[in-house]
Parts: sequence; C-alpha cells; structure tokens
Amino acid sequence: MVSSQLVLGALLALNVALFAPLVLAAMRARRRTRASNLADAFDGLEKALRRAAPDLPAGFTWEEAVARLRASGVKTEGIEPALRGYEDYRYGGQPLPNLDYSEVLKVAERVGGRWSLGR
Amino acid sequence: MAGDLRDKVRREVGKLVVGREREVDLLLVCLLAKGHVLLEGVPGVSKTLVANAFAKCLGLQFKRVQFTPDILPLDIIGGFVFDLKDREFEFRRGPVFTNVLLADEINRAPPKVQSALLESMQELQVTVEGHTEKLPSPFMVIATQNPLEFEGVYPLPEGQLDRFMVKVTFGYPSKEVESSIIRRNLSKLDVADVNPVLAPGELDSLFAEVEKVTVSDDVLSYLSRVAEATRKEGSLVLGASPRAIVQLVHCARARALIEGRKYVTPDDVKSLANDVLAHRLAVDRAAAFKGVSQNTGTILSGILDRVEPPR
Repeated sequence: MVSSQLVLGALLALNVALFAPLVLAAMRARRRTRASNLADAFDGLEKALRRAAPDLPAGFTWEEAVARLRASGVKTEGIEPALRGYEDYRYGGQPLPNLDYSEVLKVAERVGGRWSLGR
Repeated sequence: MAGDLRDKVRREVGKLVVGREREVDLLLVCLLAKGHVLLEGVPGVSKTLVANAFAKCLGLQFKRVQFTPDILPLDIIGGFVFDLKDREFEFRRGPVFTNVLLADEINRAPPKVQSALLESMQELQVTVEGHTEKLPSPFMVIATQNPLEFEGVYPLPEGQLDRFMVKVTFGYPSKEVESSIIRRNLSKLDVADVNPVLAPGELDSLFAEVEKVTVSDDVLSYLSRVAEATRKEGSLVLGASPRAIVQLVHCARARALIEGRKYVTPDDVKSLANDVLAHRLAVDRAAAFKGVSQNTGTILSGILDRVEPPR
C-alpha cells in the first residue's frame, strides 16, 4: 500500500519535472512578440515598453523611448535603421519598407521579458 | 546640405562660444523657419557673442542696437532727414535694414520703440510717413532681454511676445564649460575667426527645401490635440494660439530638414514645443496659489507627457 503511494508520488514528481520546462517554454513563446512586418514589430516594442516601464508617460515618442532604452543599458544601434524606415512609412507616407526587423523583436523580448526599465 | 549645416554652424560658432550647441541649433531652426528669436538671460552669458557669430557664419549682414530708455523709433527704423544740398527730405534707413538685427536688451526700451520694431518684424517692411521700404531677406531679429526681476525694464506684453517664434533661455554654464570658457578667454577671441559656411544663394534653397517638408495628418492631429490641451489646462489662463501652433509646425519642418528628413515626426514637435509655446502661455494666478507650478514650461511638459503622439 505504502509502496504504491510512493510510486505514485514519484511518478507525479517525474511528470512535473518533465512537463514544467515544456509549459514554461510554451508560456514564454506566448509572451514573445510576434510580427509579420516592421509595423507589427514596432507595435510589439511599444507594448513591451509599456509593460516594462509603467511610469513611461502616455506622450512618449520613439526618440525618447530609444533614449530611455539606451540609458537602461539596452543596445539600440540595431533598431535605429529599422526605426528610420518605420518613420518613413508612418509619417513620411512611404510604402512599408521590407527591412530586417529581427533586432526590434529582440529588443522587445528583452524589454518585455526579464528587463524592467529604470529611469 | 542641411544635414551637415548644423555641424558646420556649431563648429564655427564654437570657435567663440563654448557649450551653447542647443541654443545655436534653435537659432538655426528659427532662421530656416523665417522667425524671430527672443534670448533671455542675465548679462554676461554670451547672448550677443552667439548672435554675432551665428550671423557671421551664415554670411549674413549683422547689426546691433543697444536699447535704452531714451531710444526713439527713428533710431531703429530710420526716418526722413533734410538734405541741405538737394534741399529735400530723404529717407535714411535705420539699423533695422539688415539680415540679422540684434536688439540688445529690448525690454529696456519704452513700449513705443518696442512696437515700432515688432511691426517691422511682422510686416517685413518699414513705413514712415507714407513711405514704405521692404526689409532685406532674410530678416531675423534676435532680441535679448534680462529676466524681469531686474529694475528699469518694460516687460513685453503677451501680444508682442507672440511675435517671437522661439524664446531661448540662456542659463549659466556648467562647471566644466565655465572652465573651458575661462581657458579660451586667456587669448583674444575675434569674430573674424568665424568663417561663412554657406555660399550666396544657398540659404534661399534651404528655405525652399523647408517648404517641401511634409506634415502627415496624424502629426497635424497631434498638434491640434496639444493646442487644445493647453487651452483646457486649468492652471493656464492663456493657451496656445493658432498662430503659435502654425509657428510650431514651421519650426518642426525646419528641424526635420536639419535632421535630414522630408517629413515631420512627433519628436520634431515635442522637442520644440517648449521653446515655441511656453513664452506665449499665461499661468492662472489663482491656480498658482494652490501650489501649481507658475512655470509655463513645467506645465507644458506635463501636457506633452499626457497627449499621446502617433506612433
């Protein structure tokens, strides 16, 4: 009787040990910013910034956001060309450029994940 | 051309003045936006030197008038004098006939003189006894004033402050900058060391480029929302006028060109809003009693933090 309870407990612990990393990975994947284009990537970055820095005022601009990221030790060189392309589209009336936005997603993940942005 | 213009202007003005990059940038924005600048600061913070070096490096004619309580409108805009040889009156142009006029300590002059100059700033021409003469192009007034707590001054009324596109406050330099100023002043500084960075006619093409800078509907809507928020702000009795917002757009276009863009971003608007709008706003004294900041710049910064720009 006792031995079967022990076996059940052990099996349960084994299940938890096996499936917990899978569940965590799935949760992380859900939190990860998904984007199909440059505009989506910046939308994701905006959401990540709002989550990471609740004190960020509603009136923040991209220049201010990049400055804040830089001040927090996040490398922003990679996203600056993408931001320029996005601004050409967003404010300059240009077609959405087919630029590499992986760096924007990386920053969004970094910001939205473990990071919290100090002032 | 406009992209490296800022660096060139900074470099040339920097031969005489240290640590005034932002102020020089604002002068350049204002010149390209065809506006006038009010510089405010205590004496001895290099306001005159910056203005002089700025005009010189752009190859513009520069004149300076020291405003005093006994100055007359005639001393600024000119007037008719009798020519004994020809036995007739002829119009003698005043110092206002220049490209860059430094109106030093404008608030020391009586209101009649201030208004004579401010009329020329608005109309870009001078009319004396029915005789009208156009001012040279470009025409920019850089007026300086001491902070109002000093004695013997005639404060500019709101309507006249509104004629200045930008107000730049010259504070004291930081400790490091002050050391550089002292070091540099050990040898003689000469405006002749400042070299022109623009060829004749280049400024006109830059004005034409500014005209081509576009402003999207989203950014225009952002500007309207900022204006509306200043008018609804409880601690202000005077919000931003439509003229103020139009001037902010002109400045934003000039900044965009300097940054190498052909369109305005919300950053252009937000980074210049305080310089263009704060001096036109008036604080509600009743609100000031309740502990609300009396500084229009601080109130405006709060408004800009609340109004969401297009992203």
